[in-house]
Amino acid sequence: MSNGRPVTAFFVVVWCTVPAVVLLMLSFSAGWRFPLVLPASFTAGHWEDFFTGNSSDLQASCLVSLFIAAFVGGLATILGFGCSRWIASHRRKNLLLFIAYFPFVLSPVIFAVCLKYFFLRAGLAGNLAGVIFAQLIIAFPYSTIFLVSFWNNTIRNYVAVASTLGSGPAYINRHILLPAAKSFLLTCFFQCFMISWFEYGLTSVIGYGKVQTLTIKVFQFIGEANIYYAALSSCLLILPPVLLLWFNKKFVLQAAR
Amino acid sequence: MKKWTDDIVPRLLLLCFAVLPLVLGLGYALLYSFGIVGTLSTGVTTLYWAAAFRSGGLISSFVYSIYLSIVSICLCSFGGLWLACHMRDRLRQGILSYFIYLPMAFPAVVTAFFFLQFLSNAGFLSRVLYLLGWVHTAAAFPGLVNDRHDIGIIMAQFFSTLPVFVLLFLSVIENENLRGLTQIAQTLGAGSRQTWWRLTLPLLMKKSAPTLVLYFIFKLGSYEVPLLLGRSSPETISVLTVRKMQRFNLLDIPQGYAIAVLYAMVVMLLLIVSLKPSKQEAYV
Repeated sequence: MSNGRPVTAFFVVVWCTVPAVVLLMLSFSAGWRFPLVLPASFTAGHWEDFFTGNSSDLQASCLVSLFIAAFVGGLATILGFGCSRWIASHRRKNLLLFIAYFPFVLSPVIFAVCLKYFFLRAGLAGNLAGVIFAQLIIAFPYSTIFLVSFWNNTIRNYVAVASTLGSGPAYINRHILLPAAKSFLLTCFFQCFMISWFEYGLTSVIGYGKVQTLTIKVFQFIGEANIYYAALSSCLLILPPVLLLWFNKKFVLQAAR
Repeated sequence: MKKWTDDIVPRLLLLCFAVLPLVLGLGYALLYSFGIVGTLSTGVTTLYWAAAFRSGGLISSFVYSIYLSIVSICLCSFGGLWLACHMRDRLRQGILSYFIYLPMAFPAVVTAFFFLQFLSNAGFLSRVLYLLGWVHTAAAFPGLVNDRHDIGIIMAQFFSTLPVFVLLFLSVIENENLRGLTQIAQTLGAGSRQTWWRLTLPLLMKKSAPTLVLYFIFKLGSYEVPLLLGRSSPETISVLTVRKMQRFNLLDIPQGYAIAVLYAMVVMLLLIVSLKPSKQEAYV
Protein backbone atom coordinates (compact mmCIF):
# COMPACT_ATOMS: atom_id res chain seq x y z
CA MET A 1 0.00 0.00 0.00
CA SER A 2 2.81 2.42 0.88
CA ASN A 3 4.50 1.77 -2.45
CA GLY A 4 1.76 3.36 -4.57
CA ARG A 5 0.81 2.59 -8.12
CA PRO A 6 3.36 3.01 -10.93
CA VAL A 7 0.96 5.31 -12.81
CA THR A 8 0.79 7.68 -9.81
CA ALA A 9 4.56 7.65 -9.59
CA PHE A 10 4.70 8.46 -13.30
CA PHE A 11 2.41 11.48 -12.85
CA VAL A 12 4.49 12.73 -9.92
CA VAL A 13 7.65 12.47 -12.05
CA VAL A 14 5.90 14.34 -14.91
CA TRP A 15 4.65 17.06 -12.52
CA CYS A 16 8.15 17.54 -11.14
CA THR A 17 10.05 17.48 -14.45
CA VAL A 18 7.79 19.27 -16.96
CA PRO A 19 8.81 22.78 -15.82
CA ALA A 20 12.51 22.00 -16.15
CA VAL A 21 11.98 20.42 -19.59
CA VAL A 22 9.86 23.35 -20.88
CA LEU A 23 12.36 25.93 -19.63
CA LEU A 24 15.27 24.01 -21.17
CA MET A 25 13.33 23.77 -24.44
CA LEU A 26 12.63 27.52 -24.42
CA SER A 27 16.30 28.30 -23.78
CA PHE A 28 17.15 26.45 -27.01
CA SER A 29 14.24 27.95 -28.96
CA ALA A 30 13.73 30.51 -31.67
CA GLY A 31 10.33 31.57 -32.98
CA TRP A 32 7.92 30.03 -30.46
CA ARG A 33 4.79 31.64 -31.82
CA PHE A 34 1.18 30.67 -31.12
CA PRO A 35 -0.15 28.04 -31.90
CA LEU A 36 3.13 26.10 -32.20
CA VAL A 37 3.59 23.62 -29.32
CA LEU A 38 7.23 23.15 -30.20
CA PRO A 39 9.36 26.06 -31.43
CA ALA A 40 9.76 26.66 -35.17
CA SER A 41 13.47 26.00 -34.79
CA PHE A 42 15.98 25.05 -32.16
CA THR A 43 19.19 26.93 -31.66
CA ALA A 44 22.14 26.80 -29.32
CA GLY A 45 22.69 30.50 -30.00
CA HIS A 46 21.45 31.76 -26.63
CA TRP A 47 23.73 29.37 -24.76
CA GLU A 48 26.62 30.26 -27.09
CA ASP A 49 25.97 33.93 -26.32
CA PHE A 50 26.13 33.10 -22.63
CA PHE A 51 29.37 31.13 -22.84
CA THR A 52 31.05 33.69 -25.11
CA GLY A 53 29.88 36.57 -22.93
CA ASN A 54 27.71 38.27 -25.60
CA SER A 55 24.40 38.01 -23.77
CA SER A 56 23.42 41.15 -21.86
CA ASP A 57 25.97 40.61 -19.07
CA LEU A 58 24.41 37.24 -18.21
CA GLN A 59 27.81 35.69 -17.61
CA ALA A 60 28.74 38.49 -15.22
CA SER A 61 25.38 38.13 -13.42
CA CYS A 62 25.97 34.40 -13.04
CA LEU A 63 29.40 35.00 -11.51
CA VAL A 64 28.05 37.72 -9.20
CA SER A 65 25.24 35.39 -8.03
CA LEU A 66 27.71 32.54 -7.49
CA PHE A 67 30.08 34.74 -5.53
CA ILE A 68 27.32 36.22 -3.33
CA ALA A 69 25.70 32.83 -2.67
CA ALA A 70 29.01 31.09 -1.88
CA PHE A 71 30.16 33.93 0.36
CA VAL A 72 26.84 34.25 2.19
CA GLY A 73 26.50 30.46 2.50
CA GLY A 74 30.03 30.02 3.85
CA LEU A 75 29.98 32.96 6.25
CA ALA A 76 26.47 32.22 7.55
CA THR A 77 27.47 28.59 8.23
CA ILE A 78 30.67 29.52 10.09
CA LEU A 79 29.01 32.26 12.16
CA GLY A 80 25.89 30.17 12.75
CA PHE A 81 27.96 27.25 14.06
CA GLY A 82 29.49 29.37 16.81
CA CYS A 83 26.26 31.16 17.66
CA SER A 84 24.16 27.97 17.71
CA ARG A 85 26.54 26.46 20.30
CA TRP A 86 26.01 29.46 22.55
CA ILE A 87 22.22 29.41 22.09
CA ALA A 88 21.95 25.63 22.61
CA SER A 89 23.56 25.89 26.05
CA HIS A 90 21.85 29.14 27.06
CA ARG A 91 19.20 29.10 29.77
CA ARG A 92 16.99 31.35 27.61
CA LYS A 93 17.34 29.17 24.54
CA ASN A 94 13.68 29.48 23.48
CA LEU A 95 13.72 33.28 23.62
CA LEU A 96 16.95 33.47 21.63
CA LEU A 97 15.57 31.05 19.04
CA PHE A 98 12.45 33.19 18.76
CA ILE A 99 14.64 36.24 18.09
CA ALA A 100 16.53 34.27 15.44
CA TYR A 101 13.33 33.03 13.80
CA PHE A 102 11.79 36.48 13.39
CA PRO A 103 14.05 38.02 10.69
CA PHE A 104 14.10 34.67 8.90
CA VAL A 105 10.31 34.37 8.56
CA LEU A 106 9.58 38.01 7.70
CA SER A 107 8.95 38.73 4.04
CA PRO A 108 12.45 39.68 2.77
CA VAL A 109 11.10 42.41 0.51
CA ILE A 110 9.10 44.07 3.32
CA PHE A 111 12.07 43.76 5.67
CA ALA A 112 14.25 45.31 2.97
CA VAL A 113 12.03 48.36 2.42
CA CYS A 114 12.01 48.94 6.19
CA LEU A 115 15.82 48.75 6.32
CA LYS A 116 16.52 50.65 3.10
CA TYR A 117 16.97 54.01 4.87
CA PHE A 118 19.76 52.63 7.09
CA PHE A 119 21.51 50.97 4.16
CA LEU A 120 21.40 54.29 2.30
CA ARG A 121 22.84 56.15 5.29
CA ALA A 122 25.57 53.56 5.73
CA GLY A 123 26.51 53.70 2.05
CA LEU A 124 25.52 50.06 1.64
CA ALA A 125 22.68 50.53 -0.87
CA GLY A 126 23.30 49.65 -4.51
CA ASN A 127 26.55 47.77 -3.95
CA LEU A 128 27.76 44.22 -3.46
CA ALA A 129 28.70 44.64 0.22
CA GLY A 130 25.20 45.90 1.02
CA VAL A 131 23.49 42.98 -0.73
CA ILE A 132 25.77 40.48 1.05
CA PHE A 133 25.09 42.07 4.43
CA ALA A 134 21.34 42.17 3.74
CA GLN A 135 21.29 38.50 2.72
CA LEU A 136 23.27 37.57 5.84
CA ILE A 137 20.44 39.06 7.90
CA ILE A 138 18.28 36.20 6.59
CA ALA A 139 20.89 33.45 6.14
CA PHE A 140 22.64 33.82 9.52
CA PRO A 141 19.46 33.32 11.64
CA TYR A 142 18.57 30.33 9.44
CA SER A 143 21.97 28.68 9.91
CA THR A 144 21.80 29.32 13.67
CA ILE A 145 18.34 27.74 13.95
CA PHE A 146 19.42 24.83 11.74
CA LEU A 147 22.62 24.09 13.66
CA VAL A 148 21.11 24.34 17.15
CA SER A 149 19.82 20.78 16.70
CA PHE A 150 23.45 19.58 16.31
CA TRP A 151 24.27 20.45 19.91
CA ASN A 152 22.48 17.53 21.53
CA ASN A 153 23.39 15.65 24.69
CA THR A 154 25.60 13.14 22.86
CA ILE A 155 27.82 15.89 21.44
CA ARG A 156 27.94 17.65 24.81
CA ASN A 157 28.96 14.39 26.46
CA TYR A 158 31.73 13.83 23.89
CA VAL A 159 33.07 17.31 24.60
CA ALA A 160 32.85 16.74 28.36
CA VAL A 161 34.70 13.44 28.14
CA ALA A 162 37.41 14.93 25.91
CA SER A 163 37.84 17.86 28.32
CA THR A 164 38.07 15.51 31.29
CA LEU A 165 40.78 13.55 29.49
CA GLY A 166 42.79 16.75 29.03
CA SER A 167 41.94 17.90 25.49
CA GLY A 168 42.09 21.62 24.83
CA PRO A 169 39.38 23.59 22.95
CA ALA A 170 41.36 23.61 19.70
CA TYR A 171 41.85 19.84 19.81
CA ILE A 172 38.16 19.28 20.63
CA ASN A 173 37.07 21.52 17.76
CA ARG A 174 39.41 19.88 15.25
CA HIS A 175 39.12 16.21 16.21
CA ILE A 176 35.63 15.91 17.71
CA LEU A 177 33.25 18.70 16.78
CA LEU A 178 34.17 19.34 13.15
CA PRO A 179 34.15 15.65 12.08
CA ALA A 180 30.84 15.10 13.90
CA ALA A 181 29.29 18.23 12.42
CA LYS A 182 30.55 17.69 8.85
CA SER A 183 27.23 16.61 7.33
CA PHE A 184 25.32 19.27 9.33
CA LEU A 185 27.70 21.99 8.15
CA LEU A 186 27.54 20.86 4.51
CA THR A 187 23.73 20.74 4.53
CA CYS A 188 23.61 24.12 6.25
CA PHE A 189 25.98 25.59 3.64
CA PHE A 190 23.80 24.21 0.81
CA GLN A 191 20.65 25.65 2.37
CA CYS A 192 22.20 29.08 2.97
CA PHE A 193 23.67 29.03 -0.53
CA MET A 194 20.18 28.41 -1.91
CA ILE A 195 18.58 31.12 0.27
CA SER A 196 21.02 33.60 -1.25
CA TRP A 197 20.86 32.13 -4.78
CA PHE A 198 17.02 32.31 -4.81
CA GLU A 199 16.79 35.78 -3.31
CA TYR A 200 15.03 38.43 -5.36
CA GLY A 201 12.99 40.91 -3.28
CA LEU A 202 15.69 41.93 -0.83
CA THR A 203 18.37 42.08 -3.54
CA SER A 204 16.22 44.27 -5.78
CA VAL A 205 15.45 46.75 -2.97
CA ILE A 206 18.92 46.96 -1.36
CA GLY A 207 20.81 46.44 -4.63
CA TYR A 208 18.78 49.20 -6.37
CA GLY A 209 19.04 47.23 -9.62
CA LYS A 210 22.78 47.92 -9.67
CA VAL A 211 23.72 44.49 -8.28
CA GLN A 212 22.52 42.36 -11.16
CA THR A 213 22.07 38.86 -9.83
CA LEU A 214 20.48 36.14 -11.98
CA THR A 215 17.08 36.51 -10.31
CA ILE A 216 17.12 40.23 -11.13
CA LYS A 217 18.03 39.34 -14.71
CA VAL A 218 15.08 36.92 -15.02
CA PHE A 219 12.68 39.67 -14.00
CA GLN A 220 14.40 42.09 -16.36
CA PHE A 221 14.05 39.66 -19.29
CA ILE A 222 10.40 38.96 -18.43
CA GLY A 223 9.79 42.73 -18.44
CA GLU A 224 11.43 42.94 -21.88
CA ALA A 225 9.29 39.98 -23.09
CA ASN A 226 12.54 38.17 -23.94
CA ILE A 227 11.34 34.69 -22.99
CA TYR A 228 14.35 32.87 -24.46
CA TYR A 229 16.88 34.70 -22.32
CA ALA A 230 14.52 34.52 -19.33
CA ALA A 231 14.39 30.74 -19.84
CA LEU A 232 18.17 30.60 -20.22
CA SER A 233 18.63 32.56 -16.97
CA SER A 234 16.07 30.28 -15.30
CA CYS A 235 18.03 27.19 -16.37
CA LEU A 236 21.20 28.74 -14.96
CA LEU A 237 19.35 29.42 -11.71
CA ILE A 238 18.07 25.85 -11.45
CA LEU A 239 21.35 24.10 -12.25
CA PRO A 240 23.39 24.68 -9.04
CA PRO A 241 20.49 23.82 -6.70
CA VAL A 242 19.82 20.61 -8.67
CA LEU A 243 23.48 19.61 -8.34
CA LEU A 244 23.53 20.52 -4.65
CA LEU A 245 20.30 18.64 -3.95
CA TRP A 246 21.61 15.59 -5.79
CA PHE A 247 24.94 15.78 -3.93
CA ASN A 248 23.11 16.31 -0.64
CA LYS A 249 20.84 13.33 -1.25
CA LYS A 250 23.54 11.07 -2.63
CA PHE A 251 26.40 11.70 -0.24
CA VAL A 252 25.54 13.87 2.74
CA LEU A 253 22.29 12.23 3.82
CA GLN A 254 23.70 8.74 3.23
CA ALA A 255 26.80 9.59 5.25
CA ALA A 256 24.64 11.05 8.02
CA ARG A 257 22.58 7.85 8.16
CA MET B 1 35.78 36.37 32.96
CA LYS B 2 36.34 33.48 30.56
CA LYS B 3 32.59 32.91 30.34
CA TRP B 4 31.98 36.55 29.46
CA THR B 5 34.57 36.55 26.66
CA ASP B 6 33.13 33.29 25.33
CA ASP B 7 29.72 34.89 25.20
CA ILE B 8 30.58 38.21 23.59
CA VAL B 9 31.11 37.02 19.99
CA PRO B 10 27.77 35.13 19.66
CA ARG B 11 26.00 37.99 21.46
CA LEU B 12 27.46 40.50 18.98
CA LEU B 13 26.55 38.28 16.03
CA LEU B 14 22.97 37.92 17.16
CA LEU B 15 22.82 41.64 17.83
CA CYS B 16 24.26 42.64 14.42
CA PHE B 17 22.42 40.16 12.22
CA ALA B 18 19.10 39.70 14.02
CA VAL B 19 18.24 42.13 16.82
CA LEU B 20 19.60 45.40 15.43
CA PRO B 21 18.11 45.07 11.91
CA LEU B 22 14.76 44.17 13.45
CA VAL B 23 14.73 47.01 15.96
CA LEU B 24 16.02 49.58 13.47
CA GLY B 25 13.84 48.48 10.54
CA LEU B 26 10.57 48.05 12.39
CA GLY B 27 11.25 50.99 14.71
CA TYR B 28 11.85 53.29 11.76
CA ALA B 29 8.74 51.96 10.00
CA LEU B 30 6.65 52.55 13.14
CA LEU B 31 7.96 56.09 13.62
CA TYR B 32 7.49 56.89 9.92
CA SER B 33 3.92 55.57 9.94
CA PHE B 34 3.07 57.91 12.84
CA GLY B 35 4.65 60.89 11.10
CA ILE B 36 7.50 61.22 13.63
CA VAL B 37 10.32 60.79 11.09
CA GLY B 38 10.53 61.10 7.31
CA THR B 39 10.10 63.74 4.65
CA LEU B 40 6.51 64.48 5.64
CA SER B 41 7.18 64.52 9.38
CA THR B 42 4.83 66.98 11.11
CA GLY B 43 4.68 65.46 14.58
CA VAL B 44 2.70 62.50 15.91
CA THR B 45 -0.33 61.71 13.79
CA THR B 46 -2.54 58.69 13.14
CA LEU B 47 -3.55 60.14 9.79
CA TYR B 48 -1.56 57.65 7.74
CA TRP B 49 -2.87 54.64 9.66
CA ALA B 50 -6.42 55.88 9.22
CA ALA B 51 -5.77 56.45 5.50
CA ALA B 52 -4.29 52.96 5.14
CA PHE B 53 -7.39 51.39 6.72
CA ARG B 54 -9.87 53.74 5.01
CA SER B 55 -8.56 53.20 1.50
CA GLY B 56 -9.67 49.57 1.78
CA GLY B 57 -6.52 48.20 0.24
CA LEU B 58 -5.07 47.13 3.56
CA ILE B 59 -7.92 44.93 4.81
CA SER B 60 -8.60 43.34 1.44
CA SER B 61 -4.88 42.76 0.96
CA PHE B 62 -4.56 40.95 4.30
CA VAL B 63 -7.71 38.89 3.64
CA TYR B 64 -6.48 38.04 0.15
CA SER B 65 -3.00 37.03 1.36
CA ILE B 66 -4.46 34.91 4.17
CA TYR B 67 -6.85 33.24 1.71
CA LEU B 68 -4.03 32.40 -0.71
CA SER B 69 -1.83 31.08 2.09
CA ILE B 70 -4.59 28.89 3.56
CA VAL B 71 -5.54 27.44 0.17
CA SER B 72 -1.89 26.70 -0.68
CA ILE B 73 -1.13 25.14 2.69
CA CYS B 74 -4.32 23.02 2.64
CA LEU B 75 -3.67 21.73 -0.89
CA CYS B 76 -0.02 20.97 -0.10
CA SER B 77 -1.01 19.27 3.17
CA PHE B 78 -3.53 17.01 1.41
CA GLY B 79 -1.12 16.25 -1.43
CA GLY B 80 1.85 15.76 0.87
CA LEU B 81 -0.09 13.52 3.26
CA TRP B 82 -1.43 11.40 0.45
CA LEU B 83 1.96 10.94 -1.20
CA ALA B 84 3.82 10.36 2.07
CA CYS B 85 1.31 7.74 3.24
CA HIS B 86 0.67 5.99 -0.09
CA MET B 87 4.08 6.16 -1.78
CA ARG B 88 6.39 6.05 1.21
CA ASP B 89 8.75 3.40 -0.12
CA ARG B 90 8.96 4.82 -3.64
CA LEU B 91 9.73 8.26 -2.19
CA ARG B 92 12.56 6.86 -0.07
CA GLN B 93 14.47 5.05 -2.78
CA GLY B 94 14.60 4.81 -6.52
CA ILE B 95 14.09 7.43 -9.17
CA LEU B 96 11.16 9.15 -7.45
CA SER B 97 13.30 9.95 -4.41
CA TYR B 98 15.42 12.16 -6.71
CA PHE B 99 12.66 13.72 -8.81
CA ILE B 100 10.54 14.74 -5.82
CA TYR B 101 13.36 17.14 -4.84
CA LEU B 102 13.39 18.86 -8.23
CA PRO B 103 10.76 21.60 -7.56
CA MET B 104 12.81 22.64 -4.52
CA ALA B 105 15.54 23.72 -6.92
CA PHE B 106 13.22 26.29 -8.48
CA PRO B 107 13.49 29.86 -7.17
CA ALA B 108 10.10 31.56 -6.79
CA VAL B 109 10.84 33.86 -9.72
CA VAL B 110 11.54 30.89 -12.02
CA THR B 111 8.41 29.04 -10.85
CA ALA B 112 6.37 32.16 -11.56
CA PHE B 113 7.96 32.55 -14.99
CA PHE B 114 7.27 28.92 -15.89
CA PHE B 115 3.59 29.10 -14.89
CA LEU B 116 3.28 32.39 -16.79
CA GLN B 117 4.51 30.60 -19.91
CA PHE B 118 2.51 27.48 -19.18
CA LEU B 119 -0.91 28.86 -18.22
CA SER B 120 -1.23 32.16 -20.08
CA ASN B 121 -3.52 32.60 -23.10
CA ALA B 122 -0.72 31.91 -25.56
CA GLY B 123 1.06 29.53 -23.21
CA PHE B 124 2.06 25.91 -23.49
CA LEU B 125 -1.24 24.47 -22.22
CA SER B 126 -3.26 26.70 -24.53
CA ARG B 127 -1.18 25.47 -27.52
CA VAL B 128 -1.66 21.81 -26.56
CA LEU B 129 -5.45 22.37 -26.34
CA TYR B 130 -5.34 24.15 -29.71
CA LEU B 131 -3.57 21.13 -31.17
CA LEU B 132 -6.30 18.89 -29.76
CA GLY B 133 -8.93 21.19 -31.27
CA TRP B 134 -10.42 22.23 -27.91
CA VAL B 135 -9.71 25.95 -28.42
CA HIS B 136 -9.48 27.82 -31.72
CA THR B 137 -7.78 31.07 -30.71
CA ALA B 138 -5.48 32.14 -27.90
CA ALA B 139 -8.22 34.40 -26.55
CA ALA B 140 -10.61 31.43 -26.28
CA PHE B 141 -8.35 29.84 -23.65
CA PRO B 142 -9.56 30.81 -20.16
CA GLY B 143 -7.06 33.10 -18.44
CA LEU B 144 -5.30 31.11 -15.73
CA VAL B 145 -2.77 33.77 -14.80
CA ASN B 146 -3.59 37.20 -13.40
CA ASP B 147 -7.09 35.72 -13.07
CA ARG B 148 -9.77 36.31 -10.47
CA HIS B 149 -9.62 32.71 -9.21
CA ASP B 150 -5.84 32.93 -8.62
CA ILE B 151 -5.28 29.57 -10.27
CA GLY B 152 -1.81 30.57 -11.45
CA ILE B 153 -0.63 31.62 -7.97
CA ILE B 154 -2.11 28.56 -6.28
CA MET B 155 -0.61 26.15 -8.81
CA ALA B 156 2.81 27.81 -8.57
CA GLN B 157 2.75 27.66 -4.78
CA PHE B 158 1.51 24.06 -4.85
CA PHE B 159 4.35 23.11 -7.19
CA SER B 160 7.07 24.69 -5.07
CA THR B 161 5.78 23.66 -1.63
CA LEU B 162 4.47 20.12 -2.20
CA PRO B 163 7.93 18.45 -2.03
CA VAL B 164 8.69 20.24 1.23
CA PHE B 165 5.48 18.88 2.76
CA VAL B 166 6.13 15.38 1.42
CA LEU B 167 9.58 15.40 3.03
CA LEU B 168 8.14 16.86 6.23
CA PHE B 169 5.50 14.13 6.57
CA LEU B 170 8.01 11.42 5.63
CA SER B 171 10.38 12.58 8.36
CA VAL B 172 7.55 12.70 10.93
CA ILE B 173 6.45 9.18 9.93
CA GLU B 174 10.02 7.95 10.44
CA ASN B 175 10.79 9.88 13.63
CA GLU B 176 7.53 8.93 15.34
CA ASN B 177 7.76 5.28 14.25
CA LEU B 178 4.29 5.54 12.75
CA ARG B 179 4.61 2.18 11.01
CA GLY B 180 5.13 0.44 14.36
CA LEU B 181 2.31 2.36 16.02
CA THR B 182 -0.04 1.48 13.15
CA GLN B 183 0.83 -2.21 13.50
CA ILE B 184 0.14 -2.06 17.24
CA ALA B 185 -3.21 -0.31 16.65
CA GLN B 186 -4.24 -2.92 14.08
CA THR B 187 -3.11 -5.77 16.32
CA LEU B 188 -5.37 -4.32 19.00
CA GLY B 189 -8.30 -4.47 16.60
CA ALA B 190 -8.44 -1.04 14.95
CA GLY B 191 -9.57 -1.00 11.33
CA SER B 192 -7.57 0.82 8.66
CA ARG B 193 -10.08 3.72 8.59
CA GLN B 194 -10.00 4.02 12.38
CA THR B 195 -6.18 3.89 12.38
CA TRP B 196 -6.05 6.69 9.82
CA TRP B 197 -8.52 9.04 11.54
CA ARG B 198 -7.55 8.38 15.16
CA LEU B 199 -3.82 7.71 14.95
CA THR B 200 -2.05 8.60 11.71
CA LEU B 201 -3.72 11.92 10.85
CA PRO B 202 -3.78 13.43 14.38
CA LEU B 203 -0.16 12.43 15.02
CA LEU B 204 1.10 13.78 11.69
CA MET B 205 -0.81 17.04 12.02
CA LYS B 206 0.19 17.59 15.63
CA LYS B 207 3.88 17.02 14.97
CA SER B 208 3.82 19.06 11.75
CA ALA B 209 1.76 21.96 13.12
CA PRO B 210 4.68 24.31 13.94
CA THR B 211 6.15 23.83 10.47
CA LEU B 212 2.74 24.31 8.83
CA VAL B 213 2.34 27.63 10.65
CA LEU B 214 5.85 28.64 9.58
CA TYR B 215 5.00 27.88 5.96
CA PHE B 216 1.77 29.84 6.36
CA ILE B 217 3.92 32.81 7.44
CA PHE B 218 6.24 32.33 4.45
CA LYS B 219 3.30 32.19 2.04
CA LEU B 220 1.74 35.25 3.66
CA GLY B 221 4.80 37.28 2.71
CA SER B 222 5.48 35.77 -0.70
CA TYR B 223 6.31 38.36 -3.31
CA GLU B 224 7.57 37.14 -6.68
CA VAL B 225 4.75 34.70 -7.50
CA PRO B 226 1.84 37.12 -6.76
CA LEU B 227 3.74 39.93 -8.48
CA LEU B 228 3.94 37.99 -11.76
CA LEU B 229 0.82 35.82 -11.60
CA GLY B 230 -1.54 37.85 -9.41
CA ARG B 231 -4.21 40.35 -10.32
CA SER B 232 -3.86 44.09 -9.84
CA SER B 233 -6.60 44.28 -7.20
CA PRO B 234 -6.53 43.11 -4.49
CA GLU B 235 -2.79 42.72 -4.10
CA THR B 236 -0.91 40.58 -1.59
CA ILE B 237 0.64 42.32 1.43
CA SER B 238 4.19 42.32 0.03
CA VAL B 239 3.15 43.60 -3.38
CA LEU B 240 0.95 46.33 -1.85
CA THR B 241 3.66 47.43 0.61
CA VAL B 242 6.36 47.69 -2.05
CA ARG B 243 4.01 49.48 -4.45
CA LYS B 244 3.10 52.05 -1.78
CA MET B 245 6.79 52.60 -0.93
CA GLN B 246 7.91 53.04 -4.52
CA ARG B 247 5.20 55.45 -5.62
CA PHE B 248 5.96 59.02 -6.51
CA ASN B 249 3.15 60.17 -4.19
CA LEU B 250 5.02 60.79 -0.91
CA LEU B 251 1.77 60.43 1.08
CA ASP B 252 1.70 56.74 0.21
CA ILE B 253 5.06 55.99 1.86
CA PRO B 254 3.87 56.31 5.50
CA GLN B 255 0.90 54.11 4.59
CA GLY B 256 3.34 51.53 3.21
CA TYR B 257 5.26 51.60 6.50
CA ALA B 258 1.98 51.23 8.46
CA ILE B 259 1.16 48.08 6.44
CA ALA B 260 4.70 46.75 7.04
CA VAL B 261 4.34 47.29 10.82
CA LEU B 262 0.94 45.60 10.89
CA TYR B 263 2.31 42.67 8.87
CA ALA B 264 5.29 42.31 11.25
CA MET B 265 2.89 42.25 14.23
CA VAL B 266 0.79 39.51 12.60
CA VAL B 267 3.95 37.50 11.87
CA MET B 268 5.13 37.92 15.46
CA LEU B 269 1.80 36.65 16.81
CA LEU B 270 1.83 33.67 14.45
CA LEU B 271 5.41 32.90 15.40
CA ILE B 272 4.50 32.92 19.10
CA VAL B 273 1.59 30.56 18.34
CA SER B 274 3.85 28.38 16.21
CA LEU B 275 6.77 28.03 18.60
CA LYS B 276 5.44 28.44 22.12
CA PRO B 277 2.66 25.98 22.97
CA SER B 278 4.32 22.86 21.62
CA LYS B 279 7.68 23.73 23.22
CA GLN B 280 9.28 22.09 20.24
CA GLU B 281 11.30 23.31 17.32
CA ALA B 282 9.77 23.27 13.88
CA TYR B 283 11.27 21.02 11.20
CA VAL B 284 13.42 23.60 9.37
